[in-house]
Amino acid sequence: MFFSRFPAAPSMLLVSVVALNFSIGTTAFGQSAQAPASDPTNAGKAVFSKANCVGCHKWHGNGGGGYGGDALSLRKTELTRDQIIEIVGCGRPGTGMPFFMRGAYDEVKCHGMNRQDAGAQMPPEGGTFLRPKDIEAVADYVIAHIKGAGEPTYAECAAFFSSTSRVCDVYKTPAQKPDDATASTGKGQ
Amino acid sequence: MERFSGHTRISARARLLAIAVTAAGMAAALPTSAADEVNQERLLNVEKEPGNWLHHHQNYSAHRFSTLKEINRDNVKNLKVAWTLHLGGIEGGGIWSHGGLEGTPIAENGFLYVTDGWGSVYKIDAHGGRGVLVWKMDPKTDRDWAGAVACCGVDNRGVALWGDLVISHTLDGRLIATNKETGQVAWQRTVADPDKGETITGAPLIVKNMAITGVAGAEYGIRGWIAATDLTTQKEVWRTYTIPGKGEPGIETWKDSNNAAAAGGGSTWVTGTYDPATDTIIWGIGNPGPDWDSAYRPGDNLYTDSSLALDATTGKIKWHFQHTPNDPYDYDSVAENVLVDIPGPGGPQKLALEADRNGFAYAIDRTNGKFVWGLPFVKKVTWTKGLDPESGKPIEYDPNKAVQTYIASVTPSRTNMETDICPGNMGGKNWPPTAYNPDLKLWYIPVIESCNRIKVEVMTPDKLKPREFWTGGGPSQPFRITGSVTAIDVTTGKIAQKMETPFPNLGGMLATPDLVFTGQPSGEVMALDAKSLQKLWEFNTGGGVNAPPMTFTVDGKQYVAILVGLGGAWDKWFIDSTPELKKIQPGSMLYVFAL
Ligand code: HEC
Repeated sequence: MFFSRFPAAPSMLLVSVVALNFSIGTTAFGQSAQAPASDPTNAGKAVFSKANCVGCHKWHGNGGGGYGGDALSLRKTELTRDQIIEIVGCGRPGTGMPFFMRGAYDEVKCHGMNRQDAGAQMPPEGGTFLRPKDIEAVADYVIAHIKGAGEPTYAECAAFFSSTSRVCDVYKTPAQKPDDATASTGKGQ
Repeated sequence: MERFSGHTRISARARLLAIAVTAAGMAAALPTSAADEVNQERLLNVEKEPGNWLHHHQNYSAHRFSTLKEINRDNVKNLKVAWTLHLGGIEGGGIWSHGGLEGTPIAENGFLYVTDGWGSVYKIDAHGGRGVLVWKMDPKTDRDWAGAVACCGVDNRGVALWGDLVISHTLDGRLIATNKETGQVAWQRTVADPDKGETITGAPLIVKNMAITGVAGAEYGIRGWIAATDLTTQKEVWRTYTIPGKGEPGIETWKDSNNAAAAGGGSTWVTGTYDPATDTIIWGIGNPGPDWDSAYRPGDNLYTDSSLALDATTGKIKWHFQHTPNDPYDYDSVAENVLVDIPGPGGPQKLALEADRNGFAYAIDRTNGKFVWGLPFVKKVTWTKGLDPESGKPIEYDPNKAVQTYIASVTPSRTNMETDICPGNMGGKNWPPTAYNPDLKLWYIPVIESCNRIKVEVMTPDKLKPREFWTGGGPSQPFRITGSVTAIDVTTGKIAQKMETPFPNLGGMLATPDLVFTGQPSGEVMALDAKSLQKLWEFNTGGGVNAPPMTFTVDGKQYVAILVGLGGAWDKWFIDSTPELKKIQPGSMLYVFAL
């Protein structure tokens, strides 16, 4: 369904074929795949917050319409790790998905383009730049915890925030809820 | 040394109080001098204390007009920064990377009360030509919980005063009463529920010992309401839903089989007004949801996009006037209704003025909700040819149609899935308040001159999820957006002046006898001639102005105050239409000017 958006960004066709033609490709990251003892994707989770992926895709990655246009669902994404690394680094031309790699479209061409080539299709710049390692980490996090996941659950939410906020209460099942919270589904009235 | 001596009076008093408290052992019963107690009498007669600014909108009629004229057309060019105070509250939370400042300071007897976006309240002593923080009440707002369902920013528009209490709201849905002397929370009550997508950004309106609260969340499938809390018993007096329930009048305007009304929007996040002559509260009602898929909710969708009059004592609906039936644009009507009396052939005309997101300014008869006049106040309107001179409805409105198409070629719909609208969905005017000069009978509108692009998403009931966007599409910003201050002559219902600005007006207006004050999100605070709107003074704050100016006196001297800190919806969702504003840094600062 989201493929219907691609015609708006013709360069994307190129990307999916050429896969990775910018400099922070897979080879640059090749060595980092082995897993430390704790959850290897914790660093990526931190990037997901710090780089404000949550601002558009939400903590659960489902994105959604709203005032910002549609940030695609990362739960439903079919992209591979390499493709995610590329889109985080370069953004997606012609859409609201920002680029997070320092020098993208300047020192480093993205999809074979510099700023002039990209023109009006130039994606926005992320609120913070990420180092290649961070980009790789966030892609690992998306693959491990978001891609392919179904509806968000309380356990996932609690793991993401591990805080005292009530942000996760809405995901509690009726059994987990105190009795006053039955109206909190938004459809209740 | 000088600083210290300036403090003496206050700190001596504070020490005395502290002793009194210890002695009595009861913090709740702090003595406050009668002159400092705010009661209904004072709220009704604010013109008797022109040096104070007691209401969010200055008076119950939302004039935002001060009679102070020490600063005037002849000397305003000498206006200078008297003092500044850094505030906090720019932290992010939920989907927001930072907070901003949208509040109107309240001034009483030389003290200012302001809020930051997360609802912290600051009491500031403005005596002696500088500002000293007396106390800060941090409500510890649940940032992730509330920030994830705040459509349009980490915002709080200010406090109200009652008795010896400062009354405020938090984004996570609370009404808080803080002791004015000590800054201690006296009590708090949960009014709105972020689990349902409800948040609160507006300042409370105080009427007869009740705090009136409005709610935000029409982008998250709420069913809007206005609620009154008794400030003595702390109990709810009434709660009036802005979308009728089953069996209630108006439910016939929701003709779908989706139960769309239950999540129909109609938020109320801008503080309303009060007409004591008829004991009527007049409040603006927000857009229907989903915002852009109007075919999901066929019918006029009352009372969305309406001005609504309520009996203040009971909350019962007295009348309504709907601006954009079955709205497919996100043209909400949350704006304040300004109450104005104009001499007419058959006695004074009692009007309610509203500058709507749909680009039209309306005058309605506030005794019965009937249309009097309306006109476009923006330069460009593309969705309708105009208003019917009798009914005030858009000319294309057809009561027999379930889904209104207006000018169909530009209107977002299931057959027109991507389209450009003017005004854009932020509207011709958003929440930033207007001001009204009762001597000149000029009404000043802070204008967003805009178009933007709307993409429609067809909604189905299974897409309605708690705490998730329920918008039926989204906007993008392919066009540059500018602004203006537009003055309307209320005696004729015609535009008297327009002063164009490079950026949209995201702050709002203050009127004085011969000046108007306003700001720009690029940083400038400015004073204009009240008649010609010629710019007479300007100062660049170096931040983004996203809040309205106000004025007050202390030690017999007039000051103009304004909060500066760009946040809100613009910064996140609409910035592409004003690329230069991307440079504006988050900030949080109170500026106070004097001659
Ligand atoms: C300013 C909003 C915004 C931010 C911040 C943002 N994204 Fe996106 N993202 C989008 C939008 C919009 C799209 C959809 C683009 C399109 O329509 O093809 C998208 C698409 C994507 C996609 C492609 C999904 C697919 O299946 O095609 C991935 C992966 C992605 N984002 C990951 C991230 C990560 C990781 C971050 C943080 C480093 C991030 N995004 C930050 C808005 C954002």
